Amino acid sequence: MTAVGRWLNLSYRLQRWEVLAAVTGTILLLGVSLWWSRELHTLTDAYPRCRGLAVGAAECEPFYLQFQGIAKWGQLALHASWAAPFGMGLVLGVPLVSREIEHGTAAMAWTLSSSREQWLGTRVAFAVLLLIVLLAGIAAVSELLASALSPAQQLASDFTWYGQRGPLIVARGLAALALGAGVGAVIGRALPGLLLAGFASALLFTAISLGMDRWNGSEAVALPYGVETEPGVLQLGRQVVLSNGDVVGDAYLASLENILIDGDGSVYARFDPATGLPDRSSLVGRYRQLVLPGASYPEIIARESAVAVGSALLLLVGTIGIVRRRRPSP
Amino acid sequence: MSAEPILTTRDLAKRYGRRTWALAGIDLDVPEGGVTALVGPNAAGKSTLIKTWVGFERPTRGRVTVAGIDPWKDRSAALAHLGYVAQSPSLYDALTVDEHLDLASQLRPGFDRAYARQRLDELGIPAGQSAKSLSGGQQAQVALALALGTRAEVLLLDEPLASLDPLARREFLHVVTDAVRSGGQTALLSSHIVTDVEQACDRLVVLGVGRVLLDDTVAHALATHAISADGSGRSDRVGEFADPAGSRVTLVQQAAESTAESRVEGGTLRPATLEEVVLGYLASSRAPAASAA
Repeated sequence: MTAVGRWLNLSYRLQRWEVLAAVTGTILLLGVSLWWSRELHTLTDAYPRCRGLAVGAAECEPFYLQFQGIAKWGQLALHASWAAPFGMGLVLGVPLVSREIEHGTAAMAWTLSSSREQWLGTRVAFAVLLLIVLLAGIAAVSELLASALSPAQQLASDFTWYGQRGPLIVARGLAALALGAGVGAVIGRALPGLLLAGFASALLFTAISLGMDRWNGSEAVALPYGVETEPGVLQLGRQVVLSNGDVVGDAYLASLENILIDGDGSVYARFDPATGLPDRSSLVGRYRQLVLPGASYPEIIARESAVAVGSALLLLVGTIGIVRRRRPSP
Repeated sequence: MSAEPILTTRDLAKRYGRRTWALAGIDLDVPEGGVTALVGPNAAGKSTLIKTWVGFERPTRGRVTVAGIDPWKDRSAALAHLGYVAQSPSLYDALTVDEHLDLASQLRPGFDRAYARQRLDELGIPAGQSAKSLSGGQQAQVALALALGTRAEVLLLDEPLASLDPLARREFLHVVTDAVRSGGQTALLSSHIVTDVEQACDRLVVLGVGRVLLDDTVAHALATHAISADGSGRSDRVGEFADPAGSRVTLVQQAAESTAESRVEGGTLRPATLEEVVLGYLASSRAPAASAA
């Protein structure tokens, strides 16, 4: 057996149950996704004139009904694709260090290794490699399923199913793995480590998501309230342009009492008692919606993926620091 | 045997928490070559001392070196000189014996797999058997083979005998002494059971509650100590303890030439066993080290 073969074998043997769980989960998800994708494609091909989902057209009614019936299962598979990187990253990442500490093998491994960094690198490399392979498969198949669920849209420049398909799945998995390894190294016990890492990952990814919203928001297009947007835009929220030109968020309105919003997004401070309608003289400002056009999708997905991978690298550096200083016992 | 110390400590103190001193200012030189026994009761600081050399514990005060290298400043360089067997050595349940050797080869450049395998073959430990199914003694032997396979100059063995049955203990010590004598290595073996190490060690360090009570060769320690049935008031008295029959006996320190069984003023003297030497010194230091200052 070659050195690489021995490394793969040992790495697998040391994480057998996590590897089997991740591989089995991936195979199931890929199988289900491909199945529903094929079903949807078959149906869409049978009704070529209804590809645009023209609801209301009598000839497309059977297509629409069948499509909705299948699509709800396909959407579940896409939800699983969204969750997969967090689950798999943590399941593979947390035990890397924690189990060695918990089972007392860290003392042996850390004194046999030429350095703890080398030991950690050997262990993490396998988990990263496996995770990339599995999540890349999920990312690719989820793209297929998403295009089957949205046959009329060009998903390469479309925010539909954001985070449930494409490279962000892999990037998030890497960040979750690195976070799991770090938390595991701190806690030194696998099960409590997994629970804490789950909580920490919720915080991390919420923070990343909020940060990305702020970043992306600076590049968003502001549209008047109520204007119907193109399919595939990314809705980033709303803001209010006050009568004096200042721009404020929803929180400002929440701080006011008795605000009234009419159908065109105008915000008023009071009613006109005579008409029962908003008092036009009390105009506070106008709502507008912030969106990113679908054309921004490749850039935005690359940006968030880069942030996730960058977070993973930072977390791994932190994990190395913890492992270097840590005692090999819980 | 060279007189050059390969393991040293200078004023080594280690505190856990705010008050508990595991080591209270130790100066120790372990010379290169041979087997040194580090003996002391539970909580004497034996494991802590070994862990500072391995780089698992950072000294609160003082300095340790391995072949002149401070393990906390350059752990990798220090570890290159060390093979280590932990207290209750844990192996990977999922791996076979052979896979443990594969793992060591992967982690340690220059790991002598053939040598480690030969050691295990001599003991009849099957290479294909999973570590989980080995007896405690066999697991300890695998851990020792992994340490020996590093071909490190120093073996640090942290109470590896504690959980072994007498036959496994004897076998383990035989492998250690054989490896050290054939390979010119240095071994430091900690234990709280003196009889275990008596036959295997050239040198004895008695550690009592964070302090070195005795640091001597086994031969010299035996030659310079004796047991007195009535040692009260003796100026050469080391410590008093109960013998197996319950009588109080006293360990006394003598010039080497006067320790043959002899009658001197103050009572009958007989040669001390190594266990009695250790007991005498431990009895001399019952007060715990409340502070390292």
